[in-house]
Amino acid sequence: MYFRLNTECFFIRGKKCGAIFDLIMNKIYALNQKETQILTLAEKNEPIRIDEEFLNELMRLRLGNFYLNKTYIQKLRLGSPQEMPGLPPKLHRAFLEINNSCNRDCWFCGYYGIRRSLGCLGCNKWNENGKALDIEKWKELIDGLKDLDCIDIYITGGDLTLSWKKTIGVLDYAYGKFNKIYLTLNQQSISSEKISDLNGRADLIIQSQELDNLNSNRFPTLSIVSPEEWKCEDSTRIKNIFNDYVIKDGNSYSKDLPMMSKEKFSSFNMHKFLNNFEYHPCLGQTLSICCNGNVIPCPMMRNHSFGNVKTEELYSIFERRMGDIDKFWKLNLDKIEKCSGCEFRYVCADCRALEEELTGKIDGKMLCSYDPVKGTWL
Amino acid sequence: MVKGGARMLDFETSAGNIYAWDDDTGFIIPFSATMKAVMHEAFGQEKMSKDDVIKKLKENYSEDQIAFCYDWINKWDMIRPKDHKCLFNQDISATSIKRFLLRDGLSQLILGVTEKCNFRCNYCVYSDNYEHARMHSDISMSSAIARRCIDYYITLFKEGKRYNPLRKPAIGFYGGEPLLNFDLIEDCVDYITNNYKEHNIRYYITTNGSLLDRKRADWLMEHDFGISISLDGPEEEHNRNRVYINGKGTFNRVMKNVSKIMEEGYKNIDSMPVFDWKSDLFKLDEFFNREDVPPVSRVAPVSRNAGSKYYQQFTREDYDSFQKQIRCARDHYFRNISAQREAERPSFFHRLFGDSMEGTFLGIKSLYHPHPMMPVTNSCILGTKLFIDVNGYFHACEKINYDYSFGNVDDGVNFERIRKIMSDYISHMDKCSSCKASRRCSNCYLMFMNTGGFSLSSEVCKEMENEVRAELSGLITIAEKNQWVVDGADPNSKNIRKYYGD
Repeated sequence: MYFRLNTECFFIRGKKCGAIFDLIMNKIYALNQKETQILTLAEKNEPIRIDEEFLNELMRLRLGNFYLNKTYIQKLRLGSPQEMPGLPPKLHRAFLEINNSCNRDCWFCGYYGIRRSLGCLGCNKWNENGKALDIEKWKELIDGLKDLDCIDIYITGGDLTLSWKKTIGVLDYAYGKFNKIYLTLNQQSISSEKISDLNGRADLIIQSQELDNLNSNRFPTLSIVSPEEWKCEDSTRIKNIFNDYVIKDGNSYSKDLPMMSKEKFSSFNMHKFLNNFEYHPCLGQTLSICCNGNVIPCPMMRNHSFGNVKTEELYSIFERRMGDIDKFWKLNLDKIEKCSGCEFRYVCADCRALEEELTGKIDGKMLCSYDPVKGTWL
Repeated sequence: MVKGGARMLDFETSAGNIYAWDDDTGFIIPFSATMKAVMHEAFGQEKMSKDDVIKKLKENYSEDQIAFCYDWINKWDMIRPKDHKCLFNQDISATSIKRFLLRDGLSQLILGVTEKCNFRCNYCVYSDNYEHARMHSDISMSSAIARRCIDYYITLFKEGKRYNPLRKPAIGFYGGEPLLNFDLIEDCVDYITNNYKEHNIRYYITTNGSLLDRKRADWLMEHDFGISISLDGPEEEHNRNRVYINGKGTFNRVMKNVSKIMEEGYKNIDSMPVFDWKSDLFKLDEFFNREDVPPVSRVAPVSRNAGSKYYQQFTREDYDSFQKQIRCARDHYFRNISAQREAERPSFFHRLFGDSMEGTFLGIKSLYHPHPMMPVTNSCILGTKLFIDVNGYFHACEKINYDYSFGNVDDGVNFERIRKIMSDYISHMDKCSSCKASRRCSNCYLMFMNTGGFSLSSEVCKEMENEVRAELSGLITIAEKNQWVVDGADPNSKNIRKYYGD
C-alpha cells in the first residue's frame, strides 16, 4: 500500500523535522521527527503500512490518501515554472516616498538610525541629501510603473501633510492605475479634512506612537512597541493594530515576540507560499523610489541603490541593473543559511533590512527563535 | 461546482491507476472509480449531502473513500477558476493588442529574404503537399524593404522598452534558402552596425546548409549568428526528403560545410531535424550524438497543417510501426533519464521526449485563465513574431497562409486587422469551450486556416481528447515509477525536496 499527500498539500522537510502545508485551507501541520520520517518515505512513493495511525489521521484531515500502486501526484502551482527569456520584470509593489520632511522629532524615526519591523510601511525622515522630485516627475514615474504592470503602490513620507497638495496630486494621477494604493500618515497629522481629501482613493495606513490615542479601528495602524516592553497580552490580537517593533539588538528579545515566533507564519497563503520558492517573501518583486530619486530595494535598505530616476528612466534602471535587482528579489530563504534548513522557509515573514542591520550581513539571521537543527522552538 | 466532472478527462496508466486531467485548473489529479461515482452522484444536477451520497454508494464503494472524495471535491472546488466560458466572449481591442505586443511581442523580426530555394524537399510547406501556402518563386527581398523593416522594428522595440526593458532584439533570416540572397544579409548587418549598434541585436539564420562555404560561414561566425541547419539525420534519412531540384540527395554537401564549422569549435550552431512515420528514430539519435554534427535544438514531426497531403503516402502499417518505435524509443530515453538530463549536449531523444515531457508537466499555465485575448488553442497573439515576406508584408510566421497578412513595411502593423483576424479565428473555435483538453491544445492557426477563412474546430479537432489521453497515459506511467523524472525538470524542485534523501 502507498500513501501520498494530495496535489494541494506540500511536504517540506527541514534538517530534522518537516511540515505539511495545505495550500487551499491555508493550514500548517508541524510534524515531529517520527512523523517526518514516515511521510518522507510515503512521499518518495515507498510502500507503507496501512495501519499506520499517523497516515490514517492525515487521510481523515483530507490531506492525503492511500493508493494500491505507486502514484504520481502533481503539485499545485500558479502558472508555469518554466522561465522564458526576455519576459518583463514582475514588479508587484512599489514604494513612493513623496517627501522627506517632518516637523516632529520622534525617537523611533529612521532619521536616528532606528529600525522598525514595519518601518517600510510607516513614516520616516531620512538623513539624506538631494532635491525632492517634483510632481511632474512623480507623474512620469506613475506612468512608468503602470507600463511595467506594477500592481500596488505605497505612498509614504516624511509627513505627507507637509506636501499635501503634491501628495493629493500624485494620488489623483495614480488613482485607477493600480490594484491598490496605500498611503501612510502619522496619527498626529490626521484630520477629518485630510481623510476627506483622500476620498476613498487610497487605503490609509496610520503610524501611531501611543496606543491610548488610537481613536478608532477604522484604518490599519502601526503601533510603536519596544520589544523589551512587549507583553503577550498586548495589542497583537486587536483588529487593525499592527505592532511596529523598534529593533536594536536581536539577542535580548523574548522568544515569544511575534516577530520571533510562529506568529511569523500567520500571513501564509497559496500565493505567498508558491512565490517564496523563487522570491524573497518581502523584497521579492518590490522596489522603493526615494524622495531624492534613488531607487532602492526597500524603504529600509538605504545603502543599496540601483540608480536614480533623475538621471535615467525607471525602465532603464531595470534594463541596466536587473541582475543586481534579482540579487534582492531572488534572495529566497533557501539562500539564507539558517533558514535553508528550516521546514517553514516558504511561509516565514523575513525582514532582510532588519537582519542586515543586526548581523551586518545581507544573508544573516538573528530574529528567529526556531532551531531547525534541533527541530525545537527556543 | 464540478458538475459531474464535465471538464475532466480521465485516463488509465499501465499500472491500472486512474487519473483525470482537470481542464478547468490545468492539473493531473488522481482519480478512481469512487471519485467518478461521487462526482456523478453528488455534483450532478442537484447537490447531495455527504450522508446521502454515502448511503447511495456504500454498497459498491468504501465509506471512508466516499467521504474522502466528497470532501476533497468540495475542497478542490475552492480553487477552481470561475466563469470559464465568459473568456470566450471577451472583446479585444486594437489598443490592447498593441500594448500586448509592445510588452510581450517583438521577440523576433524574421526577414524572408528570398522565395528562391535550391532544394525541393518533399515535406516543404511551400511544396505541392500544402494546399494553402505560397509556392516557390524567384522573388527576393530588396535592400530598401529590408532596411525599412529594420527601422520599423527598432522603432517599435524602442517604444516597447518602457513596457519590457528586459527583452533583447533579434533578427532572423529565412527563405526559401536565405543564403541565395547573402548580399542582402550582409547589407542588413552593415546597416544595423552603422545605425543601431547600441541595441546589440542578435542574428539568426535558418539554412539548408548547402551554400555555407568557407567565406559565408566565416562571416556568419564573425557576426555571432545563431545558425540553424535543416539536417534530418544520417545520409539515408536526410536524403529521403531533402533533395535538390534535380532530385539528388543533399546530405554530402551539407555535411561537408557543417563539419568545417564544427571543427572550428563554433558553439552557436544547431540542427533542426524533422521526422515522419518512416524515420528510424534510433539512427537519428545516434547520428545527432556525433561530434561533427550540430546538436539538436528542436525536433518536430513533418507538419500536418490544414491542406496538407504529405501523410497520404503512408499506410496504416507505417503508422502502427512508427507508434511502436516511438514507445520503444521513449522507454529507452526514460531508462537513462538522469544521464540524458545531465548531458552537456542534449540528444535527439532528449529533445523529442524530454522537452515534450517538460512541456506536458511544466509548460501549462495551471490555475490561471488562458490569455483573454487568445483563450483558445495554442495560437499566438498575431504579431508576437513578425515575419516579413519578400514584398514587405507582415505575417505571424513563415508558415502561415499569406491571406492573413496584417500590415506592411510602409503602413506598419495594422492592429485593427489583427483584431479582426483573431476575432474571426476565435469565433470558429466552436468546440473549445466544451473540450476537456483545451489547456493542452497544441493547435494554432495553421491547423484551421484555409484560403480566405478558418475551419470550425469541431470539424478539425476530432481526435484531440484521445490523443491527450494517450499522451498523458504514457507519461504518467513513467512518472509513477520515478516521480523525480518529472519533478527534476522543475527548477524549484531541488529546494522543495531538500532533505528528502532522493
